[in-house]
Amino acid sequence: MRRGWPFYAQLGLTVLLCLFIVVPIVMSALAGVTVNVFKGLSSGLTLRWIFEVWELYAQSILLSLWLAVACLVVTTLAGVPLAYVLVRRPNRLTRMFEEILTLPVAIPGLALALALLITYGGFGSFRSSWVFILIGHVLFTMPFMVRSVAAVMSAMDMKTLEEGAASLGAGFWHRFLHVIVPNAMPGILAGALMVVTLSIGEFNLTWMLHTPLTKTLPVGLADSYASMRLEIGSAYTLIFFVLIMPLLIAMQMLANPGKKRRAASQPAEDE
Amino acid sequence: MNATAMAQPGSQTVQTEKPGGTRIELAGCTKTFPDGTRALLPFDLTINGGETLVLLGPSGCGKTTILRLIAGLEFPDAGGKITFGADDVTSQSIEKRRVGMVFQSYALFPNMTVAENVAYGLKVQKVERRERDERVRAMLEMMHIDMLADRRIDQLSGGQRQRVALARAIALRPRVLLLDEPLTALDAKLRVTLRTEINSLLRKLGITAIYVTHDQEEAMALGDRIVVMQKGAIAQIGTPREIYRAPRSPFVADFVGASNRLDGRIEQNSLVLGDIKIGLEQIGHAVAGGPNGHHDGNAGQGVADVYFRADGLAICTPDQGQMRGRVEAISYLGEKSRLTVSGIGESAITLDVDPDFQIAIGDDIHCRFNPERLTVFGRYPDARNAAQTM
Repeated sequence: MRRGWPFYAQLGLTVLLCLFIVVPIVMSALAGVTVNVFKGLSSGLTLRWIFEVWELYAQSILLSLWLAVACLVVTTLAGVPLAYVLVRRPNRLTRMFEEILTLPVAIPGLALALALLITYGGFGSFRSSWVFILIGHVLFTMPFMVRSVAAVMSAMDMKTLEEGAASLGAGFWHRFLHVIVPNAMPGILAGALMVVTLSIGEFNLTWMLHTPLTKTLPVGLADSYASMRLEIGSAYTLIFFVLIMPLLIAMQMLANPGKKRRAASQPAEDE
Repeated sequence: MNATAMAQPGSQTVQTEKPGGTRIELAGCTKTFPDGTRALLPFDLTINGGETLVLLGPSGCGKTTILRLIAGLEFPDAGGKITFGADDVTSQSIEKRRVGMVFQSYALFPNMTVAENVAYGLKVQKVERRERDERVRAMLEMMHIDMLADRRIDQLSGGQRQRVALARAIALRPRVLLLDEPLTALDAKLRVTLRTEINSLLRKLGITAIYVTHDQEEAMALGDRIVVMQKGAIAQIGTPREIYRAPRSPFVADFVGASNRLDGRIEQNSLVLGDIKIGLEQIGHAVAGGPNGHHDGNAGQGVADVYFRADGLAICTPDQGQMRGRVEAISYLGEKSRLTVSGIGESAITLDVDPDFQIAIGDDIHCRFNPERLTVFGRYPDARNAAQTM
């Protein structure tokens, strides 16, 4: 079939929109490896800024990664059983709990941080430790883990699966660990990626909670924008981008799980 | 009173005990759900060792609740007692009861292969590896699914899934096999095939089995005995033949397929339908005493409900005819044609004819009763009298 002008008009519009989004990313990334932004690319390319960022902010970047992992551990250990209870026992109490759990997503991070500061600000060593920030991150990311796991769990007829396992002699923990958790894995993985991505990128809440010794990657980013030369800020952005991009791509791939698998294995016909 | 007592379920016990099977007894069991609904009225039930008992009834009649009580997924109200052989299991949880369960939705574990599913129970019971593999192989072979051992569950058809579920349930050699509408999710042809397979499997194993279904044909084909349930109570217990030929109440008659119903009267030991009179001694099955009536052979006097299947009426020549009707619809079923006829009762009557019989919609037909295919339920003339006998 020949394609008429509407097709090309639409294609043109799409390409323009993509460029509108992609060009700033490329510009910013390039700025991070350019010797002098004001002279442009003609001044040459360098990795100098990246190394400088690493020297200045390595601690923030490592703390962010550490926080993300710790946050993931906490949200998984608490979130999976929590999702299980919410799906398995839907009553007024659990629904209320779910609402409360989701609140930190709706409330501005700043407000949440303020509440934490007012309540726990007085406990000096706690206030200045990374655990304080971890708590903020867990509060903020927990609903994403719980929602994602609960969605998969409510699609899998857990009640009957558990009854089947129980009739074969399996006690609660055996059922939970060998039947429920493996079957909820797609939800847990999707939730995990979400939690890690959000934790690494979280700024609002963290900015309020941080101390000079507990700066995270995005807080450091703001710091570099405010007080360093543009090349350093851009190089920092580049590092952030390289860290977060694989996570986003993995999340996208997990968003349609089983697509490939299903195509490969058509269910058999009854003879 | 005496006659009613005689009609208690216990008096109809049929000797179906087989060696090896566990005898199951439920005594004084009731079940009230937290919201106050009574799912089961007080009842007693004995399932002989090795017997296949079918619980038959419409949805919401309590049949699944009985199965779940026996499984240990629900517990009876205080006072109820459930025993497996000499073992009182009333307060035992399902994990300890050693029951095998097969569900309508299969309940197979999607994260495991076919072989892993069958091995799951053996793993839980810590059966040693070599024996486990051996038993899984034997089970898969028995269910003719050994070639599927390494398949994932989502690669199986419905029939294959239910075979896996059966293999998994019997791998642990349970004391009783509980099947909750296992064939309902399958298509008609496969249902018949698998039904036959389940039947021979149960006979081969000699295991006590309880099978829940709403399908009358399935119940007939599989059950040593059938329990017909109605609104949380047992309407009738009996062999398939008894249930089919001698239903104890209009509900049972209707449920097992005697869907034609006429209003009649009983006068001087005869059934009177309009100007037709048939001696009660010719009637195939007559019950007196109202909806919960008893067999005393004497249907008394008064109003009667007459139930019959498509074979209860036969087409005949006008001079032999007892009634005249008009053909409203004809369904060709292959080995027979089923007619829907109006003008005989208040609602349309179905009857079967030879498929080659020349007839068209709108034709008038003459027919006569086949008395031994009729089921008659006498009703006492007034409610006060009926209430006294209840």
